[in-house]
Amino acid sequence: MVNVLTPERAERAHGPRPARPVVAARDRTRRRQTVVAYLFLAPTLLFFAVFLVLPLGFALLLSLSHWSGFALGDIRPVGLDNFTGLFADGSTFLAPVLTNTLLFALGTVALALAGSLTVATCIDNLRFQGLWRTLYFLPIVTTVVAVGNVWKYMYEPGGLVNGALNALGLDSVAFLQDPDTALPSVVVVQAWASVGTAILVLTAGLKSIPESYYEAAALDGAGPVTVFRRITLPLLRPSLLLVCVTQIVTGLQSFALIVVMTRGGPGDATDVAALEMYRQAFSYGDWGTASAAAFVLFAVVLAVTLLQLWIFRRGGEDA
Amino acid sequence: MSRRRFPWLSYLVVVTGAVLTVVPFLDMVMTSFKGPGESGTLPYRFLPEAFDLANYRAAMDQLDLPVLFRNSVVATALITGSVLLTSSLAGYALAKLRFPGRDLIFRLVLSTMMFPPFLFFVPHFLILVHWPLAGGNDLFGRGGAGLTVSICALAIPFLVNGFGIFLMRQFMVSIPDEVLEAARIDGAGEFAVWWRIVLPQTKPVLVTLGLLTFVDAWNEYIWALLVSTADPDVMTLPVGIQLLQDYVDPTRTMPIVMAGLVLSVLPVLVLFLLLQKYYIRGVMLSGLR
Repeated sequence: MVNVLTPERAERAHGPRPARPVVAARDRTRRRQTVVAYLFLAPTLLFFAVFLVLPLGFALLLSLSHWSGFALGDIRPVGLDNFTGLFADGSTFLAPVLTNTLLFALGTVALALAGSLTVATCIDNLRFQGLWRTLYFLPIVTTVVAVGNVWKYMYEPGGLVNGALNALGLDSVAFLQDPDTALPSVVVVQAWASVGTAILVLTAGLKSIPESYYEAAALDGAGPVTVFRRITLPLLRPSLLLVCVTQIVTGLQSFALIVVMTRGGPGDATDVAALEMYRQAFSYGDWGTASAAAFVLFAVVLAVTLLQLWIFRRGGEDA
Repeated sequence: MSRRRFPWLSYLVVVTGAVLTVVPFLDMVMTSFKGPGESGTLPYRFLPEAFDLANYRAAMDQLDLPVLFRNSVVATALITGSVLLTSSLAGYALAKLRFPGRDLIFRLVLSTMMFPPFLFFVPHFLILVHWPLAGGNDLFGRGGAGLTVSICALAIPFLVNGFGIFLMRQFMVSIPDEVLEAARIDGAGEFAVWWRIVLPQTKPVLVTLGLLTFVDAWNEYIWALLVSTADPDVMTLPVGIQLLQDYVDPTRTMPIVMAGLVLSVLPVLVLFLLLQKYYIRGVMLSGLR
């Protein structure tokens, strides 16, 4: 402990004080605290002003303008044209881009949830839980460039996955080259990479379920399926909600994996909204459309989050 | 007890899952040792013919690995240092100081976590390009490349983190006021209170936040890709390795890429294995990864 005086000892050291100066001293402390607080907060507030408020305003302005990205003076207001353009006939934004985005997010969360729920309930019965958790966690601390390239290579005709299929007597699959299999193949990788967090959250949720519930169920002669459906699942609801919301939100926004693995191809089979936004800005120089796409995706993210919260609330449990 | 009735089934499930998780990593390491004509050919073979470091040497030659490492290290260090400093300063102010506007600012910090990163790629890039009086720009941000040609560009959008501030604040709230009050009566200024009393008590949280930030910064790809398109000199490891794909000899491309990946993944994996207790707690607290 540092050399700290308790209030009583301080009192003794400085002697009792008259009432008035105490009030004045408290005012002084308040003023000093305000100054210090704003000094401590200054870097943060400055940063948020320049890199949060300003960009949001700028993006909003751009989404209502036409701009090809050179001089700032060339920004030309066009009202809602960028937004109507996104949803006009012949635009690929609604389909396949937005549908791909939703399929990517929902597919990922479904796979990750099924996998993590299975593994988490099983881990709960085992020894060396820390070891298993560490193993399942490795993909999370690995850069997306490594994850994407390793899987891309494993999906190739001479790669591990097809090698395993061939060993089982099955034909090779052109996972990333075939428009029908490209999106599911990428979804598998995203789920593989995110299952560790889900396992962690669900394991913690399982640990918080009192052992006595299971003992009571065992006394009543309930089978494992009944126990899982009537005890584990309902009491795990808050953890499941957390996993669902965070993974769907992450899935809706992420495109780094797709940039590494397919760059949206073949054709636009794996093109997702965030990637489309990126390409509109940095490849096609259509900054207005890019910003409009970003806001549409933001609206989708918000809507999905609220919808999920509402569904789970209605299910009876307060998460 | 009913839920312990089938441990063998549990072992089967967990071990199968763990194998599926680890195999891609093993494939990465094995491929990084494979010689010309050994990778991407049929039939697939898991093990290389010899464990030979030729691909690692090729990766070193082909890429300017020291420069990539330096850029990654500098950017990661800047981000981690800045996030720790600003989060603990702001967290302390929000947790332990009384001043008008505190609740409003706290709510602002919370709301920053709601905005997804993709919303900012475009405007952040434009702000850096048009940064006044930098990289040949005039006072109004015209004429040059702005901050995009500086190594700082890699770090700038990540220097302050709303979640970090929230995390620090939540932990600092639980430090007893009496301890701080006593130090103040003892004549310690707020800065001394923060530095000598609050920071030592929040060390575990600082490690957690530092580790989360480090891993994210080290692995960051999209923003680094954008910035290095503007200036190849500030390329980071993930971006550089992705570029290795264009290696001249196609029979050796993948093994060399894998060798580069092993080298870039290793520092983070080691750090994670050493400090995983802190990292895992951080993930539990954020629930965001």
